Amino acid sequence: MIQVENVTKRYGQRLAVDRLNFRVDKGEILGFLGPNGAGKSTTMNMITGYLSATEGSISLDGHDILEEPEAVKRQIGYMPELPPLYVDMTVRDFLSFVCEIKGVPRQHRREHMDRAMSLLKIADVRGRLIKNLSKGYKQRVGVAQALIGNPPVLILDEPTIGLDPQQIIETRNLIRDLGRQHTIILSSHILPEVQAVCSRVLIINKGRIVASDTPENLSKGLVGENKLTLRVAAPETDILAAVRGLEHVTKASSAGSREAGTIDILVEAKRDHDIRRPLFALCAKADWPILMMKSMDLTLEDIFLNLVTEEMEEKEVS
Amino acid sequence: MRAVFRRELKAYFSSPLGFVFVGFFILIAGIFFALTNLLSGNPNYTGVLGSITFVFVFVVPILTMRLISEDARQKTDQLLITSPLRVSAIVMGKYFAAVAVFFITLAVTGIFPLIMSFFALGGLAGWEILGGYIGFFLLGSSFIAVGLFFSSLSDNQLVSAVETFAALLFIWILDTVSQSVPSDPVSGLVFLGFLAAGLVVLVYFTTKSLLATIAALIVAALAVALLFVFSHSFFEGLIAKILNWFSLLKRYNDFTLGVLSLSPIVYYVSFSGAFVFLTVRMIEKRRWM
Repeated sequence: MIQVENVTKRYGQRLAVDRLNFRVDKGEILGFLGPNGAGKSTTMNMITGYLSATEGSISLDGHDILEEPEAVKRQIGYMPELPPLYVDMTVRDFLSFVCEIKGVPRQHRREHMDRAMSLLKIADVRGRLIKNLSKGYKQRVGVAQALIGNPPVLILDEPTIGLDPQQIIETRNLIRDLGRQHTIILSSHILPEVQAVCSRVLIINKGRIVASDTPENLSKGLVGENKLTLRVAAPETDILAAVRGLEHVTKASSAGSREAGTIDILVEAKRDHDIRRPLFALCAKADWPILMMKSMDLTLEDIFLNLVTEEMEEKEVS
Repeated sequence: MRAVFRRELKAYFSSPLGFVFVGFFILIAGIFFALTNLLSGNPNYTGVLGSITFVFVFVVPILTMRLISEDARQKTDQLLITSPLRVSAIVMGKYFAAVAVFFITLAVTGIFPLIMSFFALGGLAGWEILGGYIGFFLLGSSFIAVGLFFSSLSDNQLVSAVETFAALLFIWILDTVSQSVPSDPVSGLVFLGFLAAGLVVLVYFTTKSLLATIAALIVAALAVALLFVFSHSFFEGLIAKILNWFSLLKRYNDFTLGVLSLSPIVYYVSFSGAFVFLTVRMIEKRRWM
């Protein structure tokens, strides 16, 4: 549906996006993941026609964004990083204005506005000036604005930023629901968020795609090891030596003592080997009570650092 | 375009800006009207219009400073540009909104000649006043177009306002300047030389290519030299000629005399059109930055 081919964007001398290639199929929810300044927003701005690519082409259903901008823009609802709101208008007036500029026929405007307002739960502030709304509400008016005109493609740049935890969950559910009817591209720098809603993830760093896969595969494929934290009531040297002796364990180190008479240790094992059972058996045999055992959550930073270091190693090799 | 127009017009009156413009303008017009017409019993109203044109230099920047710059600052330009609207429709919507505020203000000052008509024994020169108003409106609209353009250069309202003020002030003194600039061919040559040099510098900054710059330099130098050799008279009073192209006020004089001729109307409309066009180009260019 959306085809991005060899897209490069330079700001003067600075390369913001470097030969990006990807496509988004109908009904997909694609997540852009990457640190700040990776080129996520720039890419989104290019797809929506706000910026032009220095090189390469972007098309939607075969229509090029530069050659047929109106045809493409009609298909896209965009919520940029900062919600583009006229703060001197009320929510109702603003959405009505958006209906007008998006060419929603007069007799359908009400319907579009009511739908957007009820989906985002902003109907109760419809008469208030946008400048007096809280950040969370402003954010939601920004998303509502993108839904007006019911465009088949939604592009949401960090849609949950500035929301409270409750609203984040609601927004994620909303995005999942919208994903049934719309093709969605969203960006985030929070991994669990992408994991929760996206069917595919692009990890972008320094304007280039470093990985593209489903969230599950990404977190699996990228972790070299299983990592566990363990809290055991046992003498430090003994337990470390015993754990290191286990099969498949690659590393065991002490993380200090947080509770009197216990020791926290960090255990790493080879991928695809569950070492929790052998660990339990070991401790049970030696009569060391296990007080806590949990696998370490993989954060974006981990994945990210992993990918970036891999890339650098590859470069060194070649 | 209608949506943008209506929004901008509403925005003027949901902030003090529109009221400041309307209020200040009517205040100045009222003072001049009272002094010239009422207190001294002079029935010449077009003269009043002529003498308050200086207000434009101060009030037009207020009217136009936020037109484009505010969108860039609040990022609402992302909404407008990624909507199916054309950039020209967006810019024209904004331009006409500012012009509409100006028009409303002028309509209010229509009270002044109305007041006069009660006292003028010999009747008022109605058509002359209408002609004066048309000229005044066109002049103001041209100034607004200049302000619109400068508003697109910066995302800071204050910077836009100061730039507009400087530009309008320059246009304002152009008339006086053009009367006293040297008219001999040599100074014409020097002036054209400077213009050509400016053009070459512009070529350098837009293309960043040394080759193109050198080519432009050679072409410009040759053109100026050939022109000087073959058409000496072209350089007679050249500076004044060029400055007069931009003299909006000179063309207004006809209107104050009650002459409604086509050429100044065409001039004002195309002057405004040119600046609206430049604004559109400016915004479209931003995407390539």
